[in-house]
Amino acid sequence: MTRRPSISVSFRRVAISLLLLMSAASASAQWKFFTLQKDSIPLFRGFAVSFDLVGVAMMQLSDHGEYEGAFRVNIHDEWFPIVEIGYGKANHETDEVTKISYQTQAPYFRIGIDKNLLRDKHGPYRLYGGLRYAFTSYKVDMDCKDLVDPYWKWDTPYAVKDEPCNYHWLEVVLGVDAKIFGPLHLGWSLRYKRRIAHKDGIMGRTWYVPGFGLDDDNRVGGTFNVIIDI
Amino acid sequence: MRKLLLFFCIVVWLASCSTIDCPLLSTISVQYVIRDKAGKALTLTDSLTIISIQKSGEIVVLNRLSGKSEFSLPASYSHPEDVLFFRFKDKDTTVVDTVWMKKDDIPHFESVDCNASFFHEITDVQYTRHAIDSLILLNRSVTYDQKTIHFRLVPKSSD
Repeated sequence: MTRRPSISVSFRRVAISLLLLMSAASASAQWKFFTLQKDSIPLFRGFAVSFDLVGVAMMQLSDHGEYEGAFRVNIHDEWFPIVEIGYGKANHETDEVTKISYQTQAPYFRIGIDKNLLRDKHGPYRLYGGLRYAFTSYKVDMDCKDLVDPYWKWDTPYAVKDEPCNYHWLEVVLGVDAKIFGPLHLGWSLRYKRRIAHKDGIMGRTWYVPGFGLDDDNRVGGTFNVIIDI
Repeated sequence: MRKLLLFFCIVVWLASCSTIDCPLLSTISVQYVIRDKAGKALTLTDSLTIISIQKSGEIVVLNRLSGKSEFSLPASYSHPEDVLFFRFKDKDTTVVDTVWMKKDDIPHFESVDCNASFFHEITDVQYTRHAIDSLILLNRSVTYDQKTIHFRLVPKSSD
């Protein structure tokens, strides 16, 4: 059986990681990191909305994917508080080998902040480093047709309907953004995802988590964003 | 910037790889240990055969076990009660005890790529006492864990 760390263990790991991160940098370095660059550019630089195309492509090409948009505030071209809202969906129809079908669909939410890591903050290119907290609450429908007990040979109903689950995770983001023309930007982001708490329902595990993707050992994801300044 | 884009492409390509993560030990069975009244391991000298009833008649779930002090039995996928006939046989005599094991069956899922299975929660056990002195429920939860002992079987001393 695959053993999973408890919620308290996950929280403890995150807390220890944050403490180590904080203690690693000196106090002055921390202040430098959080201080805005001094120049004549105003503090508030507007808003941007963006849409992810990777999730949409996955939705079209596979049995799961996401529609996702984001709203971002530009503070001095340096700090970018961001809210991401999406709708994830999986519809795995009866598997040829295991005969299992799996359906779920639900919204998900992320909140976080990005920092422009380039020295030239106000140029046409940006390199982001950032952090997100994400959450989704979803219901799973699952069944397995024609399941027969291997010893007793009885036909065995195997189904879960509207099983409530939830998932909390953190994402470390590394992204690039390039101005194309006018208010239009295009950008990539890579995301390292780490679950911090979850409820998998009576069946013990879920396959697809809206916004997180497949719940397997792969913790890296990506987005390709169309960004419009408003 | 071009190097950065190349780096991103490589990482996204690596991230697109998927793995099938099914458990290697996927047997779900009820674990029994045989003990004497003092709790010491007891090696069965008789032959023990365990039979149950299936759709088309009898099914042997354990065949002529002897010289062992532990064994494991399957549990039915989705039947509220498994009825098991423990047949102890020596040279001259055969003694049969019936065990009724009630349980809740919980659908267990790993991935759409892994076969469906059931975990169980044992809720009650009843038994006759011809050759069995006692059958003690130690752990209720039946999962992939093959190390957890669920029942301690104490045969009567003559067995």
